[in-house]
Amino acid sequence: MTTEVKKKKFIKEGTFGIYTGFFMLGSLIVAGLIIPRVSKYKPNDLASMPLAPPSRANWFGTDVLGRDVFVRVFDAVFIDLGTAIIGVSIPLVVGTVIGTLLGISQNKRVNSLVGSIIDGINAFPFLVFVIAMIAFIGPGVGSIVLAISLVNWARYARIARTRAVVVNQQGYVEAARTLGFSKKRILFKHIIPNVSSETRAYALSDFIIVIIAVAALSFLGLGIKPPQAEWGGMIRDGKDLLTVGFWWPTVFPGIALCWAGIAVAFISEGLTRRMREVGTR
Amino acid sequence: MSESQKTAASQDVKMEVEKNRNRAALRRTFFGRVIRSVVVAFWVMVIAFSLIRLSPGDPVRMALGADVTEEAVEEFRTQLGLDKGVLTQFWDYFSGILRGDLGYSYFSGRDVTEIVGTHLPVTLMIIGLSIGFAAIISIPLALYVAMSKSNTVNYLFRALTSISLAIPGFFLALMGLLVFGVYFNIAPAAGYEGAFPANLKYLWLPALANCGSLVPVLARVLHSSIVDTLDEEFVETGVIRGVRKGKFYWSYLLRPSLAPTVVLLSYMVGVMIGGTVIMETIFSLPGIGRELITAVDGRDYPVVQSIAMIFGLIVVFFSFVGDLTGYLLDRRVTLS
Repeated sequence: MTTEVKKKKFIKEGTFGIYTGFFMLGSLIVAGLIIPRVSKYKPNDLASMPLAPPSRANWFGTDVLGRDVFVRVFDAVFIDLGTAIIGVSIPLVVGTVIGTLLGISQNKRVNSLVGSIIDGINAFPFLVFVIAMIAFIGPGVGSIVLAISLVNWARYARIARTRAVVVNQQGYVEAARTLGFSKKRILFKHIIPNVSSETRAYALSDFIIVIIAVAALSFLGLGIKPPQAEWGGMIRDGKDLLTVGFWWPTVFPGIALCWAGIAVAFISEGLTRRMREVGTR
Repeated sequence: MSESQKTAASQDVKMEVEKNRNRAALRRTFFGRVIRSVVVAFWVMVIAFSLIRLSPGDPVRMALGADVTEEAVEEFRTQLGLDKGVLTQFWDYFSGILRGDLGYSYFSGRDVTEIVGTHLPVTLMIIGLSIGFAAIISIPLALYVAMSKSNTVNYLFRALTSISLAIPGFFLALMGLLVFGVYFNIAPAAGYEGAFPANLKYLWLPALANCGSLVPVLARVLHSSIVDTLDEEFVETGVIRGVRKGKFYWSYLLRPSLAPTVVLLSYMVGVMIGGTVIMETIFSLPGIGRELITAVDGRDYPVVQSIAMIFGLIVVFFSFVGDLTGYLLDRRVTLS
């Protein structure tokens, strides 16, 4: 009996992670909204001394062209987060719908054909496939989103298909069928919401992979084009100076990128904990 | 014959039948798995082949630039075989792969098979080294956390693995370069020597940076799998019998827990290939990933296409091997 009393917690598991994550993400977004507007520097101003170390005038120092790193780091918040959010949402929706349709379809031939295409796409290393695709469609924000979507939908589709097979046999779907609801209504009101709980959970951890991939592509010079301030691109610009003592043009955008990733990781971890707790109850 | 002897005999027969059935099932699933891998490998080739057809404009014109004559475009097209029908092109490409002929680079004119042959070993070595390091770090870590009763240790383990997963490999590598290359001066920033023991000097830091994303995943899976194993009755038996420490950790805890980790490791090969591509660019290592980036920059389509395909095939191969090894380590795993 005593152990049961001990186990009882007043705070739900995962709460701390979720709050920390949202606080980190929120502070980054707020900073991204405010700082570029109130700062006396513009992100692409060549106003200051090149490679000035962090000081009272330039909190994060200046880069090789004399641009203020502080403003540039926060100016990049929306392009990085935005690209990643779109890059996750499109495959999430497309993959969930295709996967669900495959999972409930009775057509064996279509099922195994599309299934093996999905396996084929998933076999390619994510980053390599995106890089290869960029070679053919050219760099830029649109290309990144397109390439990531073309690759990533298959991962969501695989998860959704497995889940849809299970959901399709659940009592509530059978009940809806017996009640004579239309196929469309059963699909959108009963099956997809239950399938998507799984794909949405995956989307959260996928967000970390995608935001790193977006920055990595720019880091390799295949992503968002300069002079747009972007974390990966800023790290690329600074990386050759790193070994000769100028650490600030690289380290600060890197920290911002990690900050965003860790925020989402905490949210994702907290939610997983909470879901598991609900599941075991 | 007494009643009990009869049942014993029939049980023997039953077990024999069961054994044969198991063996047949194993053979069936094994061949099923082979066939599935071959089918997926085929699709990998088809997808790599169709990559060039994805490009919105004319890939030939994009590769040659804006100011070229009409004849040059046509000549290039013929040289690539793009003037033939799609099916003929695919047949040429497919039969080429089977013959080990991957075509020629547009620009250097080098044989793509040769490019892959020279540069792939470096990449595979980085991946092998990363797996080695990751195993050395993850196994003791997972064992320690699984055996620990402390909530703090478990909590820290979860938090730190989450954080580590969210740190981009390229940033970690640059920070490693800053710390080990500049501050301690024990890692070279660039350069390479071909021979085996000498090149470790250049490979250890990239491999370690790869571990940043590999260790958290491995350690987590291994940890949860060890926790599951700890609930098994044979572990308790081992404790009661007082099995030697080394044997206890290996035979009673690790070996039954390794199967999911090995299967996962084989799936992680794809992630590691992506990480290694970036490491090779940062540390200027002559691996195939750097060739890929150079080819992408130069729009060298045959090289890009072949390297992407080879990486896909490597992943297919490793997930097959991983499933098989997982099964051999733990016969309870089913091949699917």
